[in-house]
Amino acid sequence: MNSVETLKQSEDYILELHNIKKYFPVQKSLLEQIFAGRKDFVRAVDDVSLNIRRGEAFGLAGESGSGKTTIGRLSIGLEELTDGSVVFNGIDLASLKKEELRKLRQKMQVIFQDPMASLNPRMTLGSSVMQGLIIHYPELSDQHRDMVAEIFEKVGLTPANYYFNKFPHQISGGQRQRVVIARALITRPDLVLADEPVAMADVSVRALLLDLMVQLKNEFNLTYLFITHDLATAKYICDRIGILYLGKLAEVATVQEVYQKPMHPYTKALLAAIPVPNPRKRRTEVMPAGEIPNPINPPPGCRFHPRCPIAQPDCAVDEPPLVEVEPGHFVACKYAKLS
Amino acid sequence: MNKQSEKIDSAVPEWQLELDKVGFVRKLLLARKWYKGDWWFVLVSAVLLLAIIILGVFPQWFAPYDPKAEVGPSLLAPGEETSGFLLLANIDDHVETLQEIATKTNKIGYIMGSQATQALRDSLEIMNEEAEKEETGITYQPRGYRYEDVQQGLDALQAGEIDGFIVSSEELGDHLQDYPGIYFVEEVRSSKASSFILGTNQLGQDILSRIIWGTRIALIVGLSSACISFVIGVPLGLISGFFGGKLDRILTLIMDSLYAFPGLILAIAIAAVLGAGIGNIILAIAVIYIPTYFRVVRGQTMTVKNELYVEAARSLGTKTSTILWKYVFPNVLPSVVIIFSVNVADAILTEAGLSFLGLGLPPDTPDWGIDLARGQDYLRSAWWLITCPGMMVSLVTLSFSMLGESLSEILNPRLSEL
Amino acid sequence: MDKKALMEIKDLSVTYQTRLGPVSAVDHVSFDIYKGEILGLVGESGCGKSTLGKALLRMIDPPGEISTGEIIFKGEDIMKYDYNKLRNFRGKRASMIFQDPMTSLNPVQRMDEHLIEAIGVHEPGVKRESALKRSKKMIKRLGIGADRLHSYPHQLSGGMRQRVMTGIGLILNANLIIADEATTSLDVIVEAKLMDQLREIREEFGISLLMITHNIALVAEMADRIAVMYAGHMVEIGDIYKIFEHPKHPYTQGLLASVPNIQFDANEELYKMPGEPPNLTHPPKGCRFHPRCPHAMPICSTREPSLLEIEKGWLVNCWLYQKHQD
Repeated sequence: MNSVETLKQSEDYILELHNIKKYFPVQKSLLEQIFAGRKDFVRAVDDVSLNIRRGEAFGLAGESGSGKTTIGRLSIGLEELTDGSVVFNGIDLASLKKEELRKLRQKMQVIFQDPMASLNPRMTLGSSVMQGLIIHYPELSDQHRDMVAEIFEKVGLTPANYYFNKFPHQISGGQRQRVVIARALITRPDLVLADEPVAMADVSVRALLLDLMVQLKNEFNLTYLFITHDLATAKYICDRIGILYLGKLAEVATVQEVYQKPMHPYTKALLAAIPVPNPRKRRTEVMPAGEIPNPINPPPGCRFHPRCPIAQPDCAVDEPPLVEVEPGHFVACKYAKLS
Repeated sequence: MNKQSEKIDSAVPEWQLELDKVGFVRKLLLARKWYKGDWWFVLVSAVLLLAIIILGVFPQWFAPYDPKAEVGPSLLAPGEETSGFLLLANIDDHVETLQEIATKTNKIGYIMGSQATQALRDSLEIMNEEAEKEETGITYQPRGYRYEDVQQGLDALQAGEIDGFIVSSEELGDHLQDYPGIYFVEEVRSSKASSFILGTNQLGQDILSRIIWGTRIALIVGLSSACISFVIGVPLGLISGFFGGKLDRILTLIMDSLYAFPGLILAIAIAAVLGAGIGNIILAIAVIYIPTYFRVVRGQTMTVKNELYVEAARSLGTKTSTILWKYVFPNVLPSVVIIFSVNVADAILTEAGLSFLGLGLPPDTPDWGIDLARGQDYLRSAWWLITCPGMMVSLVTLSFSMLGESLSEILNPRLSEL
Repeated sequence: MDKKALMEIKDLSVTYQTRLGPVSAVDHVSFDIYKGEILGLVGESGCGKSTLGKALLRMIDPPGEISTGEIIFKGEDIMKYDYNKLRNFRGKRASMIFQDPMTSLNPVQRMDEHLIEAIGVHEPGVKRESALKRSKKMIKRLGIGADRLHSYPHQLSGGMRQRVMTGIGLILNANLIIADEATTSLDVIVEAKLMDQLREIREEFGISLLMITHNIALVAEMADRIAVMYAGHMVEIGDIYKIFEHPKHPYTQGLLASVPNIQFDANEELYKMPGEPPNLTHPPKGCRFHPRCPHAMPICSTREPSLLEIEKGWLVNCWLYQKHQD
């Protein structure tokens, strides 16, 4: 079976993003609209291409405003594209009718960052999780309860019956995140978009949740699109990582490559900025100047050049493409090899 | 290590399990501790409402009299005794009871316009019934003689023109001492009750009974108009808030213009067009409260639809109708419940107002508004005409809004731990 | 290494009245903050670290109250201060930076107004011009361009807002700055820069910094000493190097082992601490950590250990290091 899949190139990838763009119009007052003459856009995602292999955990990392969440939402059709195409399991999402897309959601699920906010406060945990079954497996209605109990046990919510009739505010934060995971997995999806799934959890709970996610991935043959701002956490779950800066990919490589041989100057700065839990290894690197620029008017050329320590004059003119510098290691910087 | 850790992890704290075992009633009692004042508010208002609802559903069990019938003297104060009437006769006649002087051949006098006639008629009726039962064959039907005042009557009695004279003690005053030959035989009472807990109105109707029957009208009007506004306003608000766009703009425009109109005046206008009758009143009141639901539900919906759990539901592939019904509506409901209770109270007031203005129900209907309207003419002489129905309006209004306000606290799921 | 204590906290408890009865968010905590040090206070959400930070400035609002304890700042007990003295103490001698600077700055006031107002409130004699001069100097010192002085809070980035908040404390020569999750909402690079700046400021002004955070790596990066809280109790406090190398309390051990590390090492695995922090309305009997503790002994579930010194300046709250029967 594996050999067949590798033969067909398109089936190797569960998700293909081709030059996707997402521009949000900037809300302006009427006066400004009249006088400015043109509309301004926030370029949340600007020409990103990405292929995600079946069964891998792909991490999208970046600071706030880098467009990582928007890419996630675009790739499962929660947001409409400005340009480009998203192909899931060989199906172009744009070609689907609303109803077909709704049916397809069975195969792509989301784990949200804030479990409290993503659970309906007036629905019991059991029925929250059961909704997915009611929508996508209405024919199995007599088994729904057992299926929910089964998934509850799988995510570590035991005794399942105890949790079935509880409301979200009655359980702890870690348990709520487990419910959210259960809800995402009960429809047996192929792709799970995990939007900072452990960011809200405490350190001591986080490790168990990450472990659970890895376990479930193997058990259900899942593909994760893991969105995070925390590179330290991404390391424990991701196979490959894409680093985003201002709506563009700066670097894509395996986790090991990114952590051990970062090439893009931005990746290097990002990695250096993350504090190390060892007081003997305090950071000595100087941080890049300034903060992330305004995505309405991003700098011309390479978007990182105003803050880049190795910037050359032509960086402000030409936009560097994402090129494969080494096998499987893509970098969008002309001078990456120099440093 | 891993197995053990999972076991501990899944273990539910004991105290929580214990709380789960606790029954519903005990949980309610426990709730008293957390909500304190609110809990008692809910309890008191719930008990009050229950009592009011029972009153409204089964008024016949509680009302002592027919609310539309004249059951006593008019304008009797609460608890006041109707004085009986005095039967006077000549000592020489040796009369001991009314029967002796009430046959066809007898003549009995009274003052013109006195309530005594009624009392006499009632007494005769009773006597005749008894006579029929015992088959004595006697018919009690004395001839009545009317006099201008007490003195004339007493003169006639002394002169032997009549066999007896019936007079109230107030009418009699101290005239009796001037007529040594006349003495007091017995008291003649009307068959009607002699005292009423809340008094009687100007038509001699029992106020207590009218209030109890009025509860039914108030509840019917209050609840059904609130339900109608709810059923129309809430879905419109949900749709308008959730989908937005042109429909939302049009609906908002209509509702805002309705809302901007003073409520009572609008209700008067609608009621005037539709005409009297309970159904029309309900409709008129329902219309003026639709915008209240609409606005609140629309606003809440716009907030709730941006919540992450709605987004989560959508990403699960949930149908829009299901999202509206299962995700948005339950989270909008608490604020609507509060409006509903306040609305019922308001509707009762409005209905009272409409009836007060004569735009409501037929005038003989036992209704608080009508009673209030009619009672105002007697405000100085008979305070109880207005006070009692007025208090009922306040009481029902208060208990509905009290329940609503305190429910809001208890219904908030994030506040209620456990 | 005998340092002078700037603030001594003795037996401090903060109790909240809740529907489920009184909850002690901070339960009989004692520790010192030394002059010129950076003390990192770490713990998980709900462990009482933020409450403790607020309590140090007596900023606990009902239904909470400071139920026991003394807070001695430069020899004076703050608990005995009246309103005016307390107001003077807050801001002028100790100030606080919160997680969200957007909400702690007045949105309709410009930056210079914030700074000038702070001076005006605490030093009524100072003229506006000299206050403005000082503000400019401070802003420059914090690495914000002088042209930003006339900006409103929403026109600044999150990092700048936090620096202004710090500046308000510094401009009055505060001795103690309490930073409650001050960098949590910032991006890593901005966070790193703010940290650099706080470190420089500490050196330059000789202030003490109490860093309250859940980010243990950040504490390792910054602090001189670390204090670990769990469920309202102080479980371990001591020198940062010693504790990171040889943590004594089982909770500290677990916590440090479960911190993700950016250093790439394929074999490394995170320690998976069982369970979750307890609900403070029903804390476990005895040591509050014992249900999750791998070394739990019979005594742990019955009696509370106390925070005792096991080495100079290193205190641990655990039966493993205390004499006991059975």
